[in-house]
Amino acid sequence: MNRVDLLQGTLDLLILRTLLTGPAHGHAIAKHIQRTSEELLQVETGSLYPALHRLEAKGWVKASWELSDKGKRARYYRLTPAGKKQLSDERAKWNAMSRAIGLVLDPTEQS
Amino acid sequence: MNSLLRKLSWLLRRNRKEQDLEAELQFHLDEEAEERRQEGLPEADARLAARRDLGNIAIVQENTREVWGWILLEQLSQDLRYALRTMRANPLFTVLAILSVGLGIGASTSVYSFVDAVLLRSLPVEHPESLVVIDWKMKIPEKGGSDTVMNGMDGNTYHDPDIGWTGGIFPYPAFEVLRKIDSAFSSVFAFHPAGNLNVSIDARAEIAEGVYVSGDYFRGLGVGSAAGRMLTRDDDEPAVARVAVLSYGLSERRFGDPARAVGQPIVINNVPFTVVGVAARDFSGVDPARAPQVYLPLHAEVLLAGNNMDVSARMYLEQNYYWLQMMARLNPGISHAQAQATAGVPFRQWVETTAHTDLERSNLPELFLNDGSGGTDAMRRQYAKPLYFLLLLVILILAIACANIANLLLARAATRRREIALRVTVGAGRLRILRQLLTESVMLATIGGALGVVFAFWGIRFLTVLLDNGRTAAPPSAELNLNVLAVATALSVLTGLVFGMAPAVLASRSNVIPALKQLRFANPPTWIRVGTRDLLVISQITMSLFMLVAAGLFVRTLSKLQSIDIGFNRENLLLFQVNARQSGHTGVEMATFYEDLRQRITEISGIRNASLSNRAFFTAGFSLPITVAGKRVDTMLLFVGPDFFSTLQIPMAAGREIESSDRPGSPMTAVVSEMFARQFLAAEDPIGRQIELKDAQQVRQMQIVGVAKDARYGGLKRNLRPVVYVPYNQGAFAFIDQMTYEVRTDGDPLGYVKTIRDIVHQMDAGLPVANIITQSGQIDRTISQEIMFGRLSTTIAFVGLSIACVGLYGAIAYNVARRTSEIGIRMALGARRGRVMMMVLRKVIVCTVAAFALGLPLCLLASRQMESFLFGITPRDPLTVAIAVAILLISAALSAFVPARRAARIDPVLALRHE
Repeated sequence: MNRVDLLQGTLDLLILRTLLTGPAHGHAIAKHIQRTSEELLQVETGSLYPALHRLEAKGWVKASWELSDKGKRARYYRLTPAGKKQLSDERAKWNAMSRAIGLVLDPTEQS
Repeated sequence: MNSLLRKLSWLLRRNRKEQDLEAELQFHLDEEAEERRQEGLPEADARLAARRDLGNIAIVQENTREVWGWILLEQLSQDLRYALRTMRANPLFTVLAILSVGLGIGASTSVYSFVDAVLLRSLPVEHPESLVVIDWKMKIPEKGGSDTVMNGMDGNTYHDPDIGWTGGIFPYPAFEVLRKIDSAFSSVFAFHPAGNLNVSIDARAEIAEGVYVSGDYFRGLGVGSAAGRMLTRDDDEPAVARVAVLSYGLSERRFGDPARAVGQPIVINNVPFTVVGVAARDFSGVDPARAPQVYLPLHAEVLLAGNNMDVSARMYLEQNYYWLQMMARLNPGISHAQAQATAGVPFRQWVETTAHTDLERSNLPELFLNDGSGGTDAMRRQYAKPLYFLLLLVILILAIACANIANLLLARAATRRREIALRVTVGAGRLRILRQLLTESVMLATIGGALGVVFAFWGIRFLTVLLDNGRTAAPPSAELNLNVLAVATALSVLTGLVFGMAPAVLASRSNVIPALKQLRFANPPTWIRVGTRDLLVISQITMSLFMLVAAGLFVRTLSKLQSIDIGFNRENLLLFQVNARQSGHTGVEMATFYEDLRQRITEISGIRNASLSNRAFFTAGFSLPITVAGKRVDTMLLFVGPDFFSTLQIPMAAGREIESSDRPGSPMTAVVSEMFARQFLAAEDPIGRQIELKDAQQVRQMQIVGVAKDARYGGLKRNLRPVVYVPYNQGAFAFIDQMTYEVRTDGDPLGYVKTIRDIVHQMDAGLPVANIITQSGQIDRTISQEIMFGRLSTTIAFVGLSIACVGLYGAIAYNVARRTSEIGIRMALGARRGRVMMMVLRKVIVCTVAAFALGLPLCLLASRQMESFLFGITPRDPLTVAIAVAILLISAALSAFVPARRAARIDPVLALRHE
């Protein structure tokens, strides 16, 4: 299985996007990213939790202890309004960036 | 901002946060393991796989924690804990360091409080910066003053080495000239101290200090009232001047409340006045040395002088009588220089008209303005030099303490080079190490600084007592204010940085590899080479030398003063003052009143005899024109009562003393001092000779009836001068108002105060007793500054010296310890003990000699600044310098001897095995 290393700074964007669908705990977030990227993106636990806490420190997500679907206590993260705004900003930036890179890499597709 | 707050709140709940993170990661592990189990792995393998997947938990935790954002704080607390541990490991070093920094900061802070209070504080008025004090300056006049336009003065003048003769007193006509200059000044106001007034409120009399002020005084200063109104120009007219403004303190004490004082009648020196207002609470006049309680219009002075036309003419018309002090407020936008130029011209034109001879015209006073934001400068003139000198001494202490700690830290940093090199190798950043070393020293300094604040509290109380020499009505006082605390804090942090920086830089700069390889004696021999630490030792010895010389000079001055024979018996003598004129007595009746009081006091059991004089003998400085055979003689004068000489116990050399039989109407008599007889009556027997006293009120022919032995009229520091003693109750009474009683007692003089007060009260209920003091107390007050300098500088010098000795000892002991193995090898190779000792001592000798070579010239240069504080010795007093050098040599030798002997006793075998 080929895996792609995450680009610097994109993990935050992916986490925020994941939380857009609803609150989730760390493990679920990691699994969701792996699944939706067709297992191409592997989230390192070593960077996941620092990232989650960083987002919390910036006020983009909020954390609270809740019971998981299996009845265990888990730390759930949810998007704050500031986080939503941040997501849309980052998303716009990312789209612009990927389009720009695409243009450079494949000039023929220019239209 | 939000995120900062969040981090801070996290910091407060950090334990909870740690637990959360652990639980969160544990949940992650459980979930992961659960997943693996569902994929079919056995329980144990599933857990292991989950674990492997998560990686190093500690690192995950550390990385996450870093996000929480208190790494810096965490490291700081690590540094602090480490510093505390090092401090506890070397208790002696720590205690010495903290104590010496505490002493240094405490001493400098308390002295600075006084500098702040006395020299730097502004008057509590509106815009104090636009106030100026009006002064004049001129060349120092010839002896006798034939070249000055002043032919009478009442106030202080100063001989200033930079500007000549200067003063702030003017004739009233000059005030009238200056207050018209409205282009420079928005107002010009004048004032004149009234001294002690007899203030009677509800028939209860007390002594209160007063000041006469011109109508513009309060408006010009911008002082508001706490109740009623302030004096205005309309009050300052002879006809309506019977109004007074009280100080807040007096009104509160006597009326309970400022508002209740307004409109009340009060009697001042037996003249009725009405209180029109109370001045703002924090205002106490423009002379920081005084604290007037009563403000009267300038023209009330004539009222209090009994509407005497002579007095009135002298004060308001006389152009050559200098007595009135002036201040002014500058117009906005006008500088000192502009105002001085503007006001100088009309003043010069006026003063020219007052000169009568060409000699007087050759040295006319010239107007000049001084900064008035702090009020008049009497206090600053008196205390500025002593205070700055003290400040210098205590800052030297602080410097010695800093040098000491720098030295000890340097020594320790050197021993820790390997430790630090090791820490650098395993990845500690240099900045981190620097920060840790600085933390240690700043922490030492901060604790020292806290201790210093405590010392400063004590120091301020101590200095308040020391600086109160009784000569000024309001001795300087200070409190620990914010200004001062800021200085103390800045000093301690600065101290920490200064003495911590050098070792820290040195240590963090150390090259890792040689430091790691270095065992114990890889350094080149440094016994002779002069390094940073030697410079520190040299500077410490130099500073100690300077402080010892200063202390020596002061102690010698004090002992010279104390060994002076005063010529009378100072023990068991009580002094007090009453002013019968102020409570309504006049003329012969007043003289009789004073004599009756003297008689009643003599009748008290336990009182041997009593007398009185128009000045206290020891602080007198009074004279009137006296002629011998038609020739004017330069002599001092004292009006005295009967038994004056037997009360003071001044022996008579010939004839009799002044007795009760010398009274109004009896033949005029006088007693002269031996010096007077020797100087002016040399050829003949003085007894029976005639001398003449002549002034505006009288021409008085007196027969000399006795010659008294010389005694210290006017204090210790003045030369002995001829004195004439004249019965106070013969002739005119113009100069008899306040009298000082001298009472010779059995046992403690202060035990008779109550009885005496009662007697005075019985005789005149409106007559308060003032300035009660014992004669020895009065003498000590006149030399209080010398006593203060003697004690304080000795204390400071020895504190400094002991700190320096500790430093010297520490530096050498450390050196010996570090070179134990080298010394062992030398001894194994045959070096004798004496040689080893010399090797160690040589360094101390080199440092001490260098310090003397550097310090002695500096000392001699600096001690010349102290000349005005000295008495009876020169600033280069060889004995003082020799003693200081000897004390230093002995102390240096002692502090070096102990470690040197230890070096000589090193057992070569043990020393080498030690490695």
